[in-house]
Amino acid sequence: MRFDLDLPAWKWPFYVMRHPIEGYDDLRWKKGYNMKVAWVIVIAFFIISVASAQLTGFLFNNTYVKVFNIIPYFSSSVILFLTWVVGNWSLCTLFDGEGTMKNIFCVSAYALLPYLFSEVIVIIASNFLLRTEGGFITFFRYLGIVWSVVLMISAMKTVHQYSIPKTLVAIVFTVVAMAIILFLAVLLLTLFQQVFVFVYSIYTELMYRFSI
Amino acid sequence: MPFMKKLAAAFVTAAVAAVSLAVTASADEPYTGYNYDWWGDPIPSQNGFVVDKVIDGSDLGLGKLDYSSYSSTMQAQMKALAEPSDIFVDQKTGAFYIVDSKNNRLIITDSTFAPENTKVVSELTYGEEFPESRSVIKSTTFKTPRGVYVRTNTDGVKFIFVADYDNNRVVAFDDDGQILMEYTRPSSDVYDANVTFNPNKVIVDSAFNVYVIVPSITQGAVQFSADGTFNGYYGANRVEATAEVIAQQFWKLIYTREQIIAMRRSVAMEISNIDIDNEGFIYTVTENKTAETDVLKKLNPAGTNIFVNLGYDEMTFGDFASRYYKGKNYASAITDVDIDEEGNIYLLDFTTGRVFQYTDECDLLFIFGTKGPQQTQGTQKGTFMSVAAIETYKGKVYVVDSRKNSITVFKQTEFGGIVQEAISLFNEGLYDEAKAPWEEVLRRDANYWLAYIGLGNAYLNQNDYQTAMDYFYRTSRAGYNRAFKSYRIEFIRANFNWILTVILVIVVLLIVWSIVKKQLQKKKAANKGGNS
Repeated sequence: MRFDLDLPAWKWPFYVMRHPIEGYDDLRWKKGYNMKVAWVIVIAFFIISVASAQLTGFLFNNTYVKVFNIIPYFSSSVILFLTWVVGNWSLCTLFDGEGTMKNIFCVSAYALLPYLFSEVIVIIASNFLLRTEGGFITFFRYLGIVWSVVLMISAMKTVHQYSIPKTLVAIVFTVVAMAIILFLAVLLLTLFQQVFVFVYSIYTELMYRFSI
Repeated sequence: MPFMKKLAAAFVTAAVAAVSLAVTASADEPYTGYNYDWWGDPIPSQNGFVVDKVIDGSDLGLGKLDYSSYSSTMQAQMKALAEPSDIFVDQKTGAFYIVDSKNNRLIITDSTFAPENTKVVSELTYGEEFPESRSVIKSTTFKTPRGVYVRTNTDGVKFIFVADYDNNRVVAFDDDGQILMEYTRPSSDVYDANVTFNPNKVIVDSAFNVYVIVPSITQGAVQFSADGTFNGYYGANRVEATAEVIAQQFWKLIYTREQIIAMRRSVAMEISNIDIDNEGFIYTVTENKTAETDVLKKLNPAGTNIFVNLGYDEMTFGDFASRYYKGKNYASAITDVDIDEEGNIYLLDFTTGRVFQYTDECDLLFIFGTKGPQQTQGTQKGTFMSVAAIETYKGKVYVVDSRKNSITVFKQTEFGGIVQEAISLFNEGLYDEAKAPWEEVLRRDANYWLAYIGLGNAYLNQNDYQTAMDYFYRTSRAGYNRAFKSYRIEFIRANFNWILTVILVIVVLLIVWSIVKKQLQKKKAANKGGNS
């Protein structure tokens, strides 16, 4: 652990990216959490997921472009990320995790950085590579994902002060928690929609009665 | 919510549209031409084929046969053809062979279908060369024949092969009805003792090897050599990799021998029909709504599917989407295949009564024909009830319907002709000459995506890579890849100086920057040291 680090807030994500093992310890020690930086990364995640669908070269792009709908991209980036944070927090507070919601949000966002870099590289490269050179694209894509996963494990381990096995178990159960949260959210939405339809039909019925 | 309602409505409309694309208001044909675009969505297209005429038994001057063996109600329904199940056209002589299954006869006619050119074969005689037991009987009849194939040998003797379903044999005879050869159930150990031999379809290759489709056999077509000996099976389908099959592979690692034997065996689906093209390649189809692999195969003489190397076996043949609608499965069931003189592949879909025309490279050209609504009983021209077989002769397509008891003749439209012309030129490598017809195609139907590929190839041939890329964009990835490869080389050659300069400048700047940074840090350190 380095105690002489004195980085500005925006440099911390890059620092932890380059130091996947001890980077988060330094961050925790120096309290390098910054919500603004984290939000910038999350929004970049959203923008890059849209860009990946729209700007990837034709040879590597399988997006159905006849209809463009922003909502799936938003829910598969920002909503998914927020669900991860909420799911992880609600699980780990019950299992002696030390991280606060803010801490989890920040470290998780910082862990996304390699993935975002790899996606940008893939988007640019896909516009001048041939299909036979698609190996590079796959390589960068997987490199980014693996690096991000390693960072995420490191982040969870540090922010909650867990052992590695406990971290892995926590991550698996976080995914389960996310599924439950999303299921309940969809259920709630459907029920409210039915309530809305019910109220709306009463309203229209009444309006017909009164207009006669 | 109105949005959800709209969405639901849109889904239902899409499903209905996909299932019953045949519904039209004003067109002459009872079906609307359509095609599939880059994303696999059905899009309207112009008709490539329209109905020329419908031939039934009365056109052929039949019906004078003895119906005494049938009940009177059946007689009324039967007209002159009764459940025809196969058709074959001899491309050289133009003779048509129609299998009239329920009447146990073979009808030989020509493309005019005139009564005076029509001949009926229902009785065969055994020749001298057959052993005593056979020549005693002297004559024989068909019993539910299901398939026919004709090949003339080098001596000019015409062999008519009929798959005689309920007689458990394939019989070969000449024009006079004299039997030349009989292929019966093989006595070999390879042939499973429990399996019957009911030939459904038959083809013969140029070496007079006979390939027989038996519905109960999943190992492929039963192959006989010219002298009637059983050669084994040919061109079996692969076992579809369903979840069950994969699970079984896993259990086989653990189970004992006895358990493995007791396990439900996963077998491939049986081949349902077969055809052979001019070059001797054999095509097989699998008529099963759930079949996803090996729906259409092109086999070399060794029985290997050559579509696998080309990647065509991954394609969906027949209709793409909307397999289920209101609890009913509408997936395509390809019941027959035919290859025309140009190498186009025609697939006949039993479910929808549609014909799918593909190029030899499996690009979808046209979809035509349809299944009629239940009420009309397929009486409308161009609609079917139960399609059985397809043949082509001189640009016309002949579809046999075994419940309408008729043959529907489709002729090519002007649009279809232009497309065909363009493809012929294209296949000969005359890309520039194909440009004019392709442009005409696009003028008539801007959705016709094969035209974009054709034009892309034409421009690629003229080394106009950028235009080629525009045409290939979202029509052909392989074409785009080729155009882009050349474009990229050209681009780098043209701008090499610039690119190199930019890279050099960046490298120099990076070096300068690192030196400056180091010196700044040194200064800082020196200042710090000085201060303390």
